[in-house]
Amino acid sequence: MTRAAKRKIGIIVFEIILILIAAVYIYPVFLMFMNSLKPFGEVVSDVIALPREPSFQNYADVIEKMNYPRLFFNNIVITVIGLIGIVFLSSLGAYMLDRRNTRYTRFAYSLIIIPMLIPFQTFMITLLKVMNVVHLSGSTWGLGIQYWGFGIPMATFIFFNFMKTIPKEIDESARIDGASTMRTFTGVIFPMLKTVTTTVVVLDVMWIWNDFLLPLLMVNSRPITKTLVLSAYTFVGQFNTQWHYAMTAMVLVVLPSIIVFILLQRYIVEGAVAGAVKG
Amino acid sequence: MSEISGGYKRETVLYTLPSIIMVVLTIYIPFVLSGYYSLTEWNGIAKTPEFIGFSNFKQIFTGGSSFMKALIFTGKYTALSMILVNIFALILAVALVKKLKSVNILRAVFFIPYIMSMTIVGFIWQFVFSQGFEDLFAITGMGFLNLSWLGDIHLVFYSVVFVGVWQSIGFYIVLYIAGLQSIPSDILEAAVVDGAGPLRSFFSITLPMLIPSLTTCVLMSMINSLKVFDIILALTKGGPAGVTYSVTLDIYREAFQNNNYGLGAAKSLVFFVIILLLTQIVLKAFKKRDVEI
Repeated sequence: MTRAAKRKIGIIVFEIILILIAAVYIYPVFLMFMNSLKPFGEVVSDVIALPREPSFQNYADVIEKMNYPRLFFNNIVITVIGLIGIVFLSSLGAYMLDRRNTRYTRFAYSLIIIPMLIPFQTFMITLLKVMNVVHLSGSTWGLGIQYWGFGIPMATFIFFNFMKTIPKEIDESARIDGASTMRTFTGVIFPMLKTVTTTVVVLDVMWIWNDFLLPLLMVNSRPITKTLVLSAYTFVGQFNTQWHYAMTAMVLVVLPSIIVFILLQRYIVEGAVAGAVKG
Repeated sequence: MSEISGGYKRETVLYTLPSIIMVVLTIYIPFVLSGYYSLTEWNGIAKTPEFIGFSNFKQIFTGGSSFMKALIFTGKYTALSMILVNIFALILAVALVKKLKSVNILRAVFFIPYIMSMTIVGFIWQFVFSQGFEDLFAITGMGFLNLSWLGDIHLVFYSVVFVGVWQSIGFYIVLYIAGLQSIPSDILEAAVVDGAGPLRSFFSITLPMLIPSLTTCVLMSMINSLKVFDIILALTKGGPAGVTYSVTLDIYREAFQNNNYGLGAAKSLVFFVIILLLTQIVLKAFKKRDVEI
C-alpha cells in the first residue's frame, strides 16, 4: 500500500472514531426526544427502545398543563426588554466614555465595569430586598429591566474596546454636517458596531433565556410571571415519576434554543468566542 | 468652544447616567447592604436586624459548619472539572481543527449542550442515571451501568462533575479551536521540516502558543465551576445526605430556606473574597509563564 493510501485510510478511521464519540456524547439528548414521543407505559417498560408509534399526544397535554404559550411569551418579554436596554445603554455609554476623555468618564468607566468581578451570588440576598423597594420584582418587565444592570458592565467593556477602532474623523464630519451627538450615534456610529453588537446579543440572549437563579428569586411566586426554565423546574418536580411528561416539558424548553442554534450556528459560535476573549 | 463645553459635559453625563444608575441599583447597593447584613442577625421578617459584630463569620469558620463542607465540595468539584474540561476540550479541539468532511456537524454536536438550560441538563442526566442506565445494563451487561451513580455518597461526586463537564465542554472546544487556528501554519511546517514529530511539535510549539486561550479557558472554567448551582439543584438537590451541596447552594439555603439572612450574607462575602483571590492567583501564574516562554 502506498503512503498516501495509508494516510487516507488513517483519516477515515479517525473520522469514524470521532463520529462515534459524538454520537455517544449527544445520546442523552436523543434519548430525551425519543421518550417524549412515547406513552407512559413505553417509557416505564423500556427507555432505550424507539417509540412504537411516535405520538405528539404528550406535547398536546404538556403544552396545556404548563400553559406553554404564556411562558414562551414571558421569556420573549424578559429577553427582549433586557436586550434592548443592554445594547442601547451600553453602546451609547461606551461611545461617550471613549470619545470624551475626562476625569468624569474615566471614573464612570471603572464604576461601570468593576461589577464584572462581583459574582451574582454574593449579593442576591439583598438584591431581592432592593428590588422589592423599587418595584422591579414580581413582574416580567421588571425582571427584564433588572438584566440591564447585570448585562451593562460586560457589554460596555466589549463596546468600549471596539469603539477605539472607529476613527474620530467620522464623528467630526457628521458634526460639520450639523448632526447632533445623538444623531451621529444612532445614524453613523451604531450601524458600524454590527459585529460587536452581534457578540453582545448572542451572549446576552443565551444567558437571559436560560437563566435560572435570578428568575427564581424574582418571578417564581405567581404562575403567570414564570419563565420556561422555572416552570420546567416545578413541572419536572411535580411529574418526576411521569417521565413521559417530564421529557416533553424538557424538550419544549430546549427546542427553541436548539432551533435558533441550528439556524444561526456561525454567529452564535463566533459571538461566544469573541465574548470570552474580550471579557 | 467654551459656550458649547457646558452642553458637552451635560451630554456626557446624561448619556452615561442610565448605565450608572442601573449598575448602582442592581449591584453596588445590594453589595454594600450585604456587607451590612453580614454583621447582623436577621430573619427577613423583623423590622430591624440585630447588630452582632463578627459572630456570623466566626460561625462560618468554626468546625462542622455547612459552609465549610460546601466549600470543600466546591473546591474538589472545581479542581476536577477544570482539569477534565481543559484536557478533553483541548484534545477534541486538536481533532476538530483537522480537515474532515463532517467537521462542522461534529463541532455543532459538541456545542449543543452548552446552549441548553443547565437545569434541563441536570434533569436529562437524572433521567439517564436513574432510568437509562438500568435499561442499558440489561442490554449490554456493562458493570458500571449498574452502579448507583446518584445514590452513592462517593460516586455522586463524579456524576456531578461529569455532567458539568458534559454541559460546558463544547464552549471550551470552540475557544481552543479559535486559538489553534490563530497559530501561523508556517511555524508548524518549519517544525516538521526540522524533523519534529506530532507530539513534539504539539508540546514545543502549539501548546506555548496557546497560552492566551489556555488562560481564558482555565479562568472561565474555574469561575463557572465555583459558581455551580443549577445543575446540582436539578440533578441531586444537594443530596444524598447533603454531600453535593455547593457553596452557592448553601448560601441560597441559608438565606431563603433557613431564613438566616445575616449568616447567608456573611457566607456570600466570604465566597466573594475566595473567588477574587483565586482569580488573581490564576492570572499571576499565567503571566509568569508567559514571560518565561
